[in-house]
Amino acid sequence: MISIPSQTSFLGLVREVTKKMAESAGFADGTAERLALAVDEATTNVIEHAYHGSGDREIELRIEDRGPEFRVEVVDSGATVDPRAVPRVDLGRYVSERRTGGLGVHLMEKIMDSVTFRRSARRNVCCLVKRKDSAAAR
Amino acid sequence: MPELTVETRDVEGVTLLYPKGFINAHTVRLFEGEIQKALAQGQFKIVVNCAGLVYIASAGLGAIMGAIEEIRGNGGDLRLASLNETVRNIFEILGFNHLYRIYASEVEAITSFRRVEEAGS
Repeated sequence: MISIPSQTSFLGLVREVTKKMAESAGFADGTAERLALAVDEATTNVIEHAYHGSGDREIELRIEDRGPEFRVEVVDSGATVDPRAVPRVDLGRYVSERRTGGLGVHLMEKIMDSVTFRRSARRNVCCLVKRKDSAAAR
Repeated sequence: MPELTVETRDVEGVTLLYPKGFINAHTVRLFEGEIQKALAQGQFKIVVNCAGLVYIASAGLGAIMGAIEEIRGNGGDLRLASLNETVRNIFEILGFNHLYRIYASEVEAITSFRRVEEAGS
């Protein structure tokens, strides 16, 4: 588990740690890179939405290689944000509407096998899971 | 080593951007700034050579989307070249490969602008 300040300058560290852990778990380089991207997106969402850009808060990353699954939990104590309330991405209208929000969650959901959000002990927990047997397909 | 650098050059009236590193919420301002610099100079033919780009997060894609309307509205385009597997995959995941023209090489991307000019003359 690592704990970082809620600053985008730490996203590079988040990426490096996630990628190395994913490679240690047996994922190929390309998959590990995409897993790192998904965690980058989840962490960015915390900074921007749960903490509203405040840089003096804390984000916990719990990365686990659990047998058939690689699991990452991004935990914050910020505002409750239900990503299911984020309008679903309609890529066909994206350019015409000049919308830029929602792409991060969309990417996370496409890269991972499971993305869930829950509230636990007054903290937000975003759980990203990638099954090792599905990695070859993505 | 910086997380992102962006070199630029101009070839045959096409602005070439060379992002090296990764584009995410932390580094996007630099990338966005170079696009805006080109637009401010009236340069609406832009090629992003992604050979040095490790990955691009949604913030970077948003930067492109934020500029594309102005670019295309001025008769130009932003095209991409030399994507690695990860960046290409990100574009395909989002269907951006249908929204933006992607070329295997910088030369092909530059040439694609020339073909448009020749067709119009």
